[in-house]
Amino acid sequence: MGTSYKYKRDASRLFIALRDNGKRYKIYIPRESNPVIDGNEQEIDFIEQEDFQYTFEWNGKRFHCELVARDQNKATVHVNGVEYKFSLESIFSYIRKGMISDAEDKNTSVQIKAPMPGKIIDIFLDEGDLVNVGEPILTLEAMKMQNEITADCNGVIQKIRVNHEQSVMKDELLVEIQSIDV
Amino acid sequence: MKKRLLIANRSEIAIRIIRSAHKMGMYAIVFQSDKEPDALYLKFADEIIDAHDADDEKPIFLNPNKIVAFALEHEVDLIHPGYGFLSENPDFVALCISKKLNFIGPSPELIRDMGLKTVAKKMAIEAGLPLVPGSEGPVADVLAAKEYAASIGYPVILKASAGGGGRGMRIVENSETIERNFKSAYDEALAAFGNGDIFIEKYLQNPKHLEFQILGDKHGNVIHLGERECSLQRKHQKIIEEAPSASVTETMRKEMGTMAVRFAQKIGYYSAGTIEFIMDEDGSYYFMEMNTRIQVEHPVTEMITGVDLVDWQIRIALDEVLTLKQEDIIIKGWAIECRVNAEDPQNRFTPQTGFIDKIQFPQDASIRIETGFLSGSMVTPYFDSMIAKIIVHGESRSKVINKTMEALNKFNIIGIKTTAPFCKAVLQHPYFKDASYTTRWVDLVYSPEMLEDPDDEMIGALAATIMYASEYLQLQGDIPAYENDALNVWVLNKRLNY
Repeated sequence: MGTSYKYKRDASRLFIALRDNGKRYKIYIPRESNPVIDGNEQEIDFIEQEDFQYTFEWNGKRFHCELVARDQNKATVHVNGVEYKFSLESIFSYIRKGMISDAEDKNTSVQIKAPMPGKIIDIFLDEGDLVNVGEPILTLEAMKMQNEITADCNGVIQKIRVNHEQSVMKDELLVEIQSIDV
Repeated sequence: MKKRLLIANRSEIAIRIIRSAHKMGMYAIVFQSDKEPDALYLKFADEIIDAHDADDEKPIFLNPNKIVAFALEHEVDLIHPGYGFLSENPDFVALCISKKLNFIGPSPELIRDMGLKTVAKKMAIEAGLPLVPGSEGPVADVLAAKEYAASIGYPVILKASAGGGGRGMRIVENSETIERNFKSAYDEALAAFGNGDIFIEKYLQNPKHLEFQILGDKHGNVIHLGERECSLQRKHQKIIEEAPSASVTETMRKEMGTMAVRFAQKIGYYSAGTIEFIMDEDGSYYFMEMNTRIQVEHPVTEMITGVDLVDWQIRIALDEVLTLKQEDIIIKGWAIECRVNAEDPQNRFTPQTGFIDKIQFPQDASIRIETGFLSGSMVTPYFDSMIAKIIVHGESRSKVINKTMEALNKFNIIGIKTTAPFCKAVLQHPYFKDASYTTRWVDLVYSPEMLEDPDDEMIGALAATIMYASEYLQLQGDIPAYENDALNVWVLNKRLNY
């Protein structure tokens, strides 16, 4: 296939940094390669690290960061001498607090339903996994054809409603995803 | 035998003066103050006098008797006062002279006269310099005030003759409100000072600050070295200076420079000095005052003229003839100075104190750094907040603005907040770029949000997240429990040589 997805499986590496002015960043810290910020992989070089200090390089610019205050999940950072305040959440606590959307309707759960009757022959993800838009979640076999059922949002797999080898009807609920697209 | 020069100052200006002293083959002596015993300037001196000023009311630099006593004990020939402290204290200068110490600067009489605004203004009138239009004495009554204001044009400022601290002072926008304002200013002045005399001056709402550098010797020779524009100020203190000024045409430069020289000659001035003008939006300019010291911003003039002002101060003090002629002064290119002060520009420029964990300066042939601090230095609350001056020279104004931005981007300081981000915000602002900025830029234009940058904000979010994530993931047992590897492969892969 060769498709490369921005988010890796591990939802515990996805965080939300919320600035005191309301600006929100979704930041995925991978094990390898570059961080993904708001869905975009950014080629950010790590130049230097000391206690509470990081220097990055990005787009030919240096960024000297210094953590100057920390209280629970709140952090004050100086970037090139200017102060920014953030509160930080793991994606799980963020979802739990219902902060994923500014909208009145906090229900950002997305339901994936069976497009046709068939049988589940493969499930690729587990509950709690991070999933990307267009990424296959499971394979549904119908009329001898294998159909990949893909995610239509970025998010965390909340609930998988079906089991391996299970037969499903059209429009039967397969998977619930907690969307992280704001 | 080498001449012995004592510097009654600290920080960058002490180092600057040491440089000139060494260039002229002199022996440089400085004071070590207990308020700042590990200061960088001490490392450049040939001799250090332990000032023992821990129990004194004031630091050594403000103690004339102690300075002079030490100077005599250490057989000093010359004393350079730098700027601030006692540099414009006529009594200190008189004391030095009475003890046969050669004070590098003008005579105590000149310093005293220029320190008294009324005397300086009187001398300026005699030398034909324009002053801000105003009533020479108090105006008789409301009617006279109204008539006079109409003759000089609104807005005007009413000032109590006996005034001070803003009491009895009113800015009047138009003739409709002058009666009311005059009465309240009068009542206020009468209540505050027992004297209700009010005089009127034209009020410059949005002025520029210009100043001409002059050099004069003890033999009657005076030249000017062009102007500096120092309009970018906060709390009446300069933050960015440039030379020349885009608001001064060649004709004006000649005119104002000639006036400055004439004024200096008229008062018999010698040493380096600065004649300050205020310029209105219509381009009219007025004499403000004369400074009789070397100024913080002298390097921008040095950059564009190639003249070493501190060298000349010393040579003039040694009775040398000023061999530079006016026609030798040719302005080359443009220079900008940014003051890096330990102040928080996001919080009303509150002074910052503490350790400088790290300080890194840009390096380039066209960049001059004047600083008294390095990594590990302490910023104490005892002295002024200036950490460094970053002075950049370039071919043209627009080029030097860009170069200064680059220089500030390369400048890094960790541990203390400074005015460096503020300087960047100024340099990027359209009013600075088109040179229309005035002394009121901070009041009228500035807001701390201007310091913020979307890229900085995003990377800040990343940094905060990494710090948070490393703990979070440790708690999850997902990564080895030592912090530096918290980011494991990404960090290790991404680490480059600095």
